Amino acid sequence: MKPLLALLRIGLGATFLYAAATKLPDMSAFAENLANYRLVPPTLVPGAAAAVIGIELTLGLLLVTGRLARGAALVATGLLAVFTLGLSQALLRGIDLRCGCFGGNESATWLTVLRDAGMLAVALALLLRGPGRLLPARPAPASEPRRDASAATHG
Amino acid sequence: MLAEAALIVAAGALLGLAGNAASPRPAALARPVHSAAESGTGMCAVAGAAPAARAPRIAVEEAKGLCDACRAGFADARGASEFAAGHVTNAVHLPPAGHPDEAVAVAALRAYPLVVVYDGDYTCALADEVAHRLKREGLPDVRVLEGAWPAWVAAGGAGTSGYCPACHDPAEAHR
Repeated sequence: MKPLLALLRIGLGATFLYAAATKLPDMSAFAENLANYRLVPPTLVPGAAAAVIGIELTLGLLLVTGRLARGAALVATGLLAVFTLGLSQALLRGIDLRCGCFGGNESATWLTVLRDAGMLAVALALLLRGPGRLLPARPAPASEPRRDASAATHG
Repeated sequence: MLAEAALIVAAGALLGLAGNAASPRPAALARPVHSAAESGTGMCAVAGAAPAARAPRIAVEEAKGLCDACRAGFADARGASEFAAGHVTNAVHLPPAGHPDEAVAVAALRAYPLVVVYDGDYTCALADEVAHRLKREGLPDVRVLEGAWPAWVAAGGAGTSGYCPACHDPAEAHR
């Protein structure tokens, strides 16, 4: 189970890194996409757009490296829940908009919601079950005091 | 864990603001961003709402020729920071939200038989909104630049670092 969780964590982190990297060259376009969701007051949209991209970048780095992984999983859960609800409410209100998920002009559809929900499930699993680890922990030598096996991944 | 999460959100937000400052196309933090549906333009319009009329288009190559011959006025519908970073030589700044010197800018555009409006977006064209406004002001021929500012730059059109031969319009003062 732990290697699977670690792979999911790294995959989720890489997805966040990719999402941030596609938005960084044109943050103005992402602000416009965010405005189209009509969830944030227009005056707060540019700051919120910049913050979302920065948080995605931070989450990506932390999830890939396994540092502060539980906290990162909590933030990722919150962020993905907002994304999923935001997309769903826009589609239910009949707003035709671009997703803004990975830059470009991808239209938001229920498949996009499903993808976000899948990522949300991964984030929840990491939050509840821990960040996992790719390799089994090495047993501590008998002469040394026992260390917490999860310390290496928790940082 | 909550403290970790708060730290991550704060650090991420700061990183995002730093990234915005370094981005080639940053979000203008001081400028409110309205949804395209509220301005009634582009594919972002609310489903079921009357679609905004699409202003006539003009190809970049044709617009370049008119600029070089000084036979067209240019209006930039992007935000102030984007306009300041670079615009078509002698273009006036006319964002959809309006401009303090709009009357002077429109008067400058009246000197031309044709006005080209552009923005920075390929699809949800703020330029359409400005083009319709200029038509309502009575300008005879108003077109929207196909491909917007990125296409103009890619085609080597005259910008702030370029030169538009024979153009000496006072509209340049509207930065």
